[in-house]
Amino acid sequence: MARWLAGRLAQGVLTFAVATVLLFCLMRATPGDPLARLAGERQIDPADVAHLRARYGLDQPLGRQFATFVTGALRGDLGVSITYGRPVTALLRERLPATLLLVGTVLLVDFTLGLWLGVRQALARGRALDATLSTLSLAGYAAPSFWIGLVLAWLVGVEWRLLPAAGMADPLLAADAPWATRALDVARHLVLPALTLVVVSLAAAMRYQRAALLEVLAQPFMQTARAKGLPARAVVWRHGWRNALFPVLTLFGLWLPLLASGSVFVEAVFAWPGLGSLAAEAVAGRDYPVIMGTSLLVTVLVVASALLVDLAYAWLDPRVRHWT
Amino acid sequence: MSRWTPRLALVCSLAVAAPLARPAVAPLAAQRPAGTVVLVLPQTPALPIPTLMEGPAAHTANFDVADQLFLRLAVPLPGRSTADERAFEPQLARSWSRRDSLTLVFDLDPRARWHDGVPVTARDVVFTFDRARDPRVAPRLARPLHWLEGVTAEGERRVVFRFSRAYAEQLYDATFHVQPLPAHLVARLSPEELQRSAFAQAPVGNGPYRWVRAVAGQTVELAANPDFFLGRPGIQRLLFRIATSPDARLNLLLSGEADAVAENLIPPLANLERLAPRRDLRLVPVPSNSLGYLLFNQRDRADHARPHPILADVAVRRALVLALDRQAMARAAFGSYAEVPVGPSSQVLWTRHLAGRAKGPDPALARRLLAERGWRDGDGDGILDRGGQPLALTLQFPAQSGLRRQMALQVQAQLRAVGVRLDLVPLDGPVWIERRSAGDFDIDFSSASQDPSPAGLLQSWSCGGIGGTNVAAYCDPRVDSLMTRAIVTRGDPAPLWREALRQIEADAPAAFLYAPTFVYAVHARYEHATLRPDSPWANVWRWSVRPGAALPRDRVSAGAAASSAAEAGR
Amino acid sequence: MRGSWRAALAAAWGRPGGRLGTLLLLGIVAAVALGPFLLPDPAAQPDILGGANLAPGAGHLFGTDQLSRDVLARVVAGGRVSLAVGGLAALLSATLGLLVGLAAGYRGGAVDAVLMRLVDAALVVPRLFLLLLLLAAWERVPLAALVVVIGATGWFATSRLVRAEVLRLKAEPFVLAAEALGAGGRRIIFRHLLPNALGPLVVAATLGVGEVILLEAGLSFLGLGIQPPTPSWGGMIYDAKDVLVTAPWGSVFPGLAIVLTVLAVHLVGDALHAALDPREAAIVAAVPAPASIPAAEPVTRLDLEAGLARMSDSREPAA
Repeated sequence: MARWLAGRLAQGVLTFAVATVLLFCLMRATPGDPLARLAGERQIDPADVAHLRARYGLDQPLGRQFATFVTGALRGDLGVSITYGRPVTALLRERLPATLLLVGTVLLVDFTLGLWLGVRQALARGRALDATLSTLSLAGYAAPSFWIGLVLAWLVGVEWRLLPAAGMADPLLAADAPWATRALDVARHLVLPALTLVVVSLAAAMRYQRAALLEVLAQPFMQTARAKGLPARAVVWRHGWRNALFPVLTLFGLWLPLLASGSVFVEAVFAWPGLGSLAAEAVAGRDYPVIMGTSLLVTVLVVASALLVDLAYAWLDPRVRHWT
Repeated sequence: MSRWTPRLALVCSLAVAAPLARPAVAPLAAQRPAGTVVLVLPQTPALPIPTLMEGPAAHTANFDVADQLFLRLAVPLPGRSTADERAFEPQLARSWSRRDSLTLVFDLDPRARWHDGVPVTARDVVFTFDRARDPRVAPRLARPLHWLEGVTAEGERRVVFRFSRAYAEQLYDATFHVQPLPAHLVARLSPEELQRSAFAQAPVGNGPYRWVRAVAGQTVELAANPDFFLGRPGIQRLLFRIATSPDARLNLLLSGEADAVAENLIPPLANLERLAPRRDLRLVPVPSNSLGYLLFNQRDRADHARPHPILADVAVRRALVLALDRQAMARAAFGSYAEVPVGPSSQVLWTRHLAGRAKGPDPALARRLLAERGWRDGDGDGILDRGGQPLALTLQFPAQSGLRRQMALQVQAQLRAVGVRLDLVPLDGPVWIERRSAGDFDIDFSSASQDPSPAGLLQSWSCGGIGGTNVAAYCDPRVDSLMTRAIVTRGDPAPLWREALRQIEADAPAAFLYAPTFVYAVHARYEHATLRPDSPWANVWRWSVRPGAALPRDRVSAGAAASSAAEAGR
Repeated sequence: MRGSWRAALAAAWGRPGGRLGTLLLLGIVAAVALGPFLLPDPAAQPDILGGANLAPGAGHLFGTDQLSRDVLARVVAGGRVSLAVGGLAALLSATLGLLVGLAAGYRGGAVDAVLMRLVDAALVVPRLFLLLLLLAAWERVPLAALVVVIGATGWFATSRLVRAEVLRLKAEPFVLAAEALGAGGRRIIFRHLLPNALGPLVVAATLGVGEVILLEAGLSFLGLGIQPPTPSWGGMIYDAKDVLVTAPWGSVFPGLAIVLTVLAVHLVGDALHAALDPREAAIVAAVPAPASIPAAEPVTRLDLEAGLARMSDSREPAA
């Protein structure tokens, strides 16, 4: 088991390395220049651009830039953001909590409400409840997230003024306000962006759970269980959903990067100060150090979650262990 | 073994979500309203430090915050000529005088203090100008200062500026571009060290507001400087919120969470329908430094040594301008908040109305001009051609600009009506700039932000600018001569500028489409809420909250971040 | 195989959801195909000052946009583009994902390790970011390139799903038995793994069509989607975002078009899935009328027939 684990860890590190090289090459292969985006559209002399390019080391050969990056990264230094003029690690540290909070909330709702609804659907297969839930969740999934976000922000935030229209915290709240007050304030700001992401992502969790459970229900052992006279509900909850976890686990491993993309639009619409908006800004401005930094951070998250999923596989089905 | 079921987790998450209704409003300390302004910025003001706002850090969010923290020697009066040395308002400099046509002398205001209490001295000014004049450190500032030979201190309070040639806007160049830094805090730091320093994270300035704190990606909080030597600010707390999406910015304003958005709100014109009926908001139109135009490349895009096969012909360029209903396009995009300029004149240039009004469309004349040059529809496909070559051009623009996307479609339709085929080429922002700088385009939908001095026109519209920002290689020696004379003349430059602008319009190096008035929205409870064209929010310290109209957020409680508010006894 | 697909299509048509989805999809395709011949020119700007942002009415059923263009004509014209991009890109993704997933899952060992490490590395970067970096390389993204790029970045997750399914199936007794009987690799893949792995693939592919249409809308939000003057649903929503409150018809109608299309594709996909998957049919066959599945329902019988048809089909020798 220890050897298996060590092997998986080594694979994780390899993934990380391959992704780093892939990303660096891809990013530098595209045209566009961080220093071209000077001052919005203030016109600037090419000679001035050359000075700035030298300052940020962009005049060095590509190989040396990559070497500089790797040696720095190994020391925990991801360079300085061209747009912000600050260390990338500091920016990531500042933005990570907001994204984890938003994505974590959405994950929690998706994997509780979503799975529960999926099970209900599987049990009610072919009936009106199944169709209604399918149609409703699909309609949410089928609407562009930025559009839902815009409508929610306008209706709930501007017209009804029930919840804040944007941001993560009320800036007027004093820094020394009680902990509970600040937590409640953040929670109120969290509702609309999280709701938007849930509306567009819930359908996927429901569908996978429904399909997985239907397959499990067809397994011989389930039929045996039912034949023994256990009530349908008990069969499903005691035996079924545990085995239906396989595809759902796979889904979980893929979920984080998906939500990271989805949150780009939602973070923008709601001015949520997370990694998604940071990364989107960085791509638009070709802020190489920040693009590398955010991508590496997501890399670590995904590699770690893939490792967790594999561990869970092995735990749920000992047969899998011999395969890898 | 306890079983974790989805159902249980659902109950848990609902329990967490339950108390999310509105929280109780905390009782407010019974104090006189001190005044707060919550301003929404489009970007994080990560580096509002003079001499460091270069390259990608040269954006309005940094400028807006820096202008609250750091004063200039003097500022130009809105709408007045930047060549007129009497049309400036003193700030750090109490007064100024001339020794000769090459030497300006400034006397600093002895009351001026840094926020740490240290007086502002001549050493600060000399140190900062030495940095600003170094093109390796601050290319954006160094460029307009290239005729400035040196800055020296004479004692604690007197600074002497020496220029290498006599010209009308010496005072403007000596005052507008550079905001002095506190030498006693930063002189020992190299530019790179300064960028990473604690000072850059919590700058110490000399302006009406001092730094309180920044919350990453969310807010920057400033508090009034109670000892501000030009007068005690009427607004005690200035909060900048950050929202990168224009929809979020507008929503914060409309929901009452913010008092103003730091940028122009029109276009889209639809915003006007939503803002105008709001009685708690006031629209403030301000002449802008923005200018939109279709730039005609006069060189072959592939081989810069050769003239452009179609656009090198001035008659064709004039015809293209005549084919466009510029007035209708400006009305459709801006309503009444834009004018069609004559020559490259945004609304901040004092020269803008010298050359009269722009001509309206004349498609018939456009067709005739084109026909005279041999462009006829020989094959009957609706597109003019000459010697087998169709009159087809490309128009490139940044895809992210909604205004230019919409207007490009109108241009396409209008040119089609006179037999010109226009292919639209929307580009990702950085790619667009790269192509534009390389002169790799037929027609470029440009947008410029002009300095308030017409001398800046020399960079983009003179033969000398070719290889620099004059990317379309427009060159008319008559215009060059007129502009140079206008800049160095000791007499009235207005007639020379008038001739120059008329000649540019006649040469049609571009179709000048719009010079907008920026429309800002500000909460209606403020008095004296004026905005400046060169720096809209620089006058916030002169605002105050109308008695009786205060909101809860105007009561800045003691113990909150703004300690200075405690003594706000206005 | 072809016979089983025909039976599956028939079975899908027999389910109410499948029938509704098919009709909806056919309706949308017909409107998109024939509409341009009946409607005004979607690019025409009759009157940008007086005719912009007109509410839906007699002259313009869906109203006009900010440039006075007819929204109905643009929804129809945009549908051609959005449907083509969505369908082709999803097909490309599903094919690539299936091939890689089968290869990795069945071969195992080094092939699996290398393929999955590459997939992991590609999955690490969110798809949107890959697209942004790739799309910025074009001066003006040709539609074909957009399809290829979206399709080529969409298969990583699918291959993982297929691989997981194959891994699970490989441990199943019937596969082990086939191997023990000396069945060749191709036979095991095409006879046993492929048909059984199709279930999750169909789900992924149907979700994929909607995902591509939505992705295109998202790219439009960032200014990198299908570019004007070519209309697309995503681009229309983005362009009408500024008038979301004052002239909502500009974004509501293309938005509804997206929702209806994605819904229709899913209904068809679901019906196909149910009809294709022998195990789901087997539930109906083997479980004697559980409370949740009324046995008398005609849908159930068709499911059963489809399942049986497929089972008998796979027993015949390959053509």
